[in-house]
Amino acid sequence: MDRRTFIKAVGVLGASLFLQAYKSDLVKALELSETKVLWLHGVECTGCTVSMLDGGSPDIVELLRVLNLKLLFQDVLMMQQGIFVDGKPANTSELNSDILLEEILDNEKGYVLISEGGVPNGPAGSGRYMVIGGKTYKETYEKAAKNASVIIAIGQCATHSGVNAAESEIKELLDHRGIAFTMEDSSKGIVNLLGINTPVININGCPAHPDWVFLTISAVVLGKIKVPDDLPYLLDEWKRPKIFFPPDHVIHDNCPRRGYYDHGELDLTVGGGKCLWKLGCKGPYSHADCATRHWNAHLSFCPQAGSPCIGCVEPGFPDSTRPFFVEIEDSGLVGTHLHTVAGVAIGGALLAAGAHAVRRTVLKKPEEKEGYAEESVSEKAEGEK
Amino acid sequence: MVQVTIDPLSRIEGHYRVNTEVSGEGVITDAQSNALVFRGFERFLQKQDPRDAALLTQRICGVCPVCHSISAANALDELFGVAGEIPKDALVVRNIHQGLNYIASHAAHIYVLWGPDLANPAYHDILMQQGDLGNAVWGELSGRFMPVVNQFDGIRLPPGSSYLGAVMELRRLHDAISLIGGKMPHAVLQHVGGVVYSPTVADIQQLASYVSKTVNFVEAFTLGVSPDTWIENTYRASSPQKAVDFVIGHLQDLLDKSLTNNDFSHSSGWGDVSLFAAFGSELIGEKLLGLPVSMKMDRAGVYPDPAKIGFLSYGVFFKPEKGDGYDPASPADGRVIPSGYMNGSLKLEKFDHQKISESINHSFYIDEKKDRPPWNGVTVPEENPEEIDYTRGSESRYSWAKAPNYNGIPCEVGPLARLMIMGEPLTTGLVKAFQDNGYSPVNNYTRMIARMQEVLVVIPELRKWILQDLEAGAKVAVHTDLSMAKDSEGMGLWEAPRGALGHWVATGSDSMVTLYQAVVPSTWNLAPRNSKGIAGPVEQALIGTKISAAENALGVDYSNPLGILHTVRSYDPCLACAVHTLDRTGKHPAYAIKVV
Repeated sequence: MDRRTFIKAVGVLGASLFLQAYKSDLVKALELSETKVLWLHGVECTGCTVSMLDGGSPDIVELLRVLNLKLLFQDVLMMQQGIFVDGKPANTSELNSDILLEEILDNEKGYVLISEGGVPNGPAGSGRYMVIGGKTYKETYEKAAKNASVIIAIGQCATHSGVNAAESEIKELLDHRGIAFTMEDSSKGIVNLLGINTPVININGCPAHPDWVFLTISAVVLGKIKVPDDLPYLLDEWKRPKIFFPPDHVIHDNCPRRGYYDHGELDLTVGGGKCLWKLGCKGPYSHADCATRHWNAHLSFCPQAGSPCIGCVEPGFPDSTRPFFVEIEDSGLVGTHLHTVAGVAIGGALLAAGAHAVRRTVLKKPEEKEGYAEESVSEKAEGEK
Repeated sequence: MVQVTIDPLSRIEGHYRVNTEVSGEGVITDAQSNALVFRGFERFLQKQDPRDAALLTQRICGVCPVCHSISAANALDELFGVAGEIPKDALVVRNIHQGLNYIASHAAHIYVLWGPDLANPAYHDILMQQGDLGNAVWGELSGRFMPVVNQFDGIRLPPGSSYLGAVMELRRLHDAISLIGGKMPHAVLQHVGGVVYSPTVADIQQLASYVSKTVNFVEAFTLGVSPDTWIENTYRASSPQKAVDFVIGHLQDLLDKSLTNNDFSHSSGWGDVSLFAAFGSELIGEKLLGLPVSMKMDRAGVYPDPAKIGFLSYGVFFKPEKGDGYDPASPADGRVIPSGYMNGSLKLEKFDHQKISESINHSFYIDEKKDRPPWNGVTVPEENPEEIDYTRGSESRYSWAKAPNYNGIPCEVGPLARLMIMGEPLTTGLVKAFQDNGYSPVNNYTRMIARMQEVLVVIPELRKWILQDLEAGAKVAVHTDLSMAKDSEGMGLWEAPRGALGHWVATGSDSMVTLYQAVVPSTWNLAPRNSKGIAGPVEQALIGTKISAAENALGVDYSNPLGILHTVRSYDPCLACAVHTLDRTGKHPAYAIKVV
């Protein structure tokens, strides 16, 4: 199977189907040498670890086994903890996580680094808002990132600093950093600050979807994504795999409530079953395959369950998408944080139907797009306005 | 005196350090509980649309996001003036959402976070002195509770059977939440005025099916007997004594069979709870059942002075029988698991939320006032890197957690506090049995048994909410408008799986947030000293605890301090929750809101 077919398959099939279909590749993987994985937690809520435990096909243990991965360190899933007696590390790496981590950082190279959570840089660049085992996490992270072959940043705190960098009076003081970006700014990513050149793949989301993470790891370990050579065309400008975060496709496109939107039937109170546009849905601006992949055993996703999409995969989340329950065209967001995606999203919305909904927004030449927008504009939706 | 420090404590949510002074006899004489990370969370809700709080605050914690979203929704209900009108079915959906997460969160704690300590090599060494019986029990402990990442005498052992089974149930329960809440973690179900999704007939059947599959796991792995039999004879027992007699009788039956063939496997009826119930306690295992060895967890994690500790519950799970609406102040009869306060001598009092305050004397915050109520919280984080030092001892500032108090007393919160306050028969009976036999009623053993038992308390209620109380397709939200939140305030009292959780919110004339404050369970449990110098609950529980396994059974080993690990982990620490801040500048002391 060639690389492009493989990548496509990763996107189209669910994880378990994917593993079944490409068993022969996976069998070969077992003959490959072991791949080591180091998983570190920065400032986060551990929700991404929980989300990975929620991955069912494959589950995390199966994934480690079939891909011949050796999880070196994961502080929620390990026996060890840091132990000091009179200030000196005690016991061995079988019980002491500080010794284990030091051994890894001193001896291992070329591992896959899974980064969950952001890296605190404050106060005043000291990193002392997070001190673990007597060292700042920033210091530990620098060593870990330098010797990795690739960094897979999982979840919004790691990819863009997410809620940790949300607007507040103490934001500058806290100075929590994402790995390759802080919000939309790549110069503020911790790897740039520390001068680290290790390639980064971002798996956005709050939390990240286990399929996105597991399938990306699978593709990297099986050599189907060559790091770094393939990354420029496989990843978007935010370093997200385009297959999961399609630049030309938004959640709105495949929303099960889409029919109501096309008919202009829009809910004004939560708890109903119709389109959530008036309740502030950011689905038309959010690039992810949630609507086709679904979450947790592929059961549902936010708008299906009656909540507006809050754009948790977008680089500026949550500032770029809040207030969550206000229509985006009334919130003054378009043209600011969302400028990079709005053109595509609005173009997409137009193509399908919704001129009514976007007519007050700043459009970037939608007429250049091929389509039938004008014909299908819903009368009812116009009336609603 | 030897200094033993755990830094970091793994297998918890977040990043935590604990420092102890240990005597030559291996007894802990002093402790400092250090929350290590400053994340600065609620601060970014200031000046924002309050309706976002139910979705944003759950991002405090990925292990227990549900309780934050419900606490926030409760606070918003009052803020918008609709708490009295929330449709009954919305309250039932909140119960179901939280009930599913209680079981998932307790399973995660018992099996994934806490359980692996039962496979600590010290227990191998202790049990190997007990011949075939010890060998068999060690085989069960390591075969059931080994975590994914481990190294034992140079070899990586496979993850434990119960551990892996629990991960599967965690996933199943999260699938159930996703069915009605879109995804999990960070489900989107909770909203001011109710919930965003009204389950269909098909959803109800599917929810019931998930729960029944989890009940199968509880039977096969956790209990070894039918959960209904267990519930009937414990949670629904006619007296605390009968509940205890049932459990002791059950353990005795198992032992009578197994002492002859040394078979302690799941298939011979030894559920994980039974194995722990027998081998975890000196009183029950050694004294009552006649076992040659136990982990003696009932001797550790006890409070030396009842005058310096209390137990607190805000109450959780709405009573569907009461119909639409609820009282935000959570009166004693308002919730299925009731609110209440128990003092250190286990005397029950009525809960009054106005008695809550927080101290910052030993925290890295700056404020001229050392005690404040949460609805007037002011938090200025230390900005000088040199000052952020965890090693200066009990008199210094040493944590990012504040120290909450109830009437000036630090409180333990969580399943044990809840079930004692509820008067749950098994918990009440066990606590009394320990007291009557000269043990402290509250210890690492009762703390863990209460968490296990709470799963069995929630299961029948959850089935009732799903199959009897929830009406398919019912109205689940009242309409709200942002203008309804003008110049208002709200309080959301609830119980996270790990204990009492309160959210407080206030808004200005533009309906935007002027104050948002959360006081969370791990802040209570892992608090540093308060303004009177009284140690926090975990600190108190560590003092007097022996440093090594089973009361230093093999002598003092400072390098494998299981006494610390068991004690701290028995509280199910959640550090992302514990550390928070509200108002850095202190510009808004006028926003002292009066909470009704």
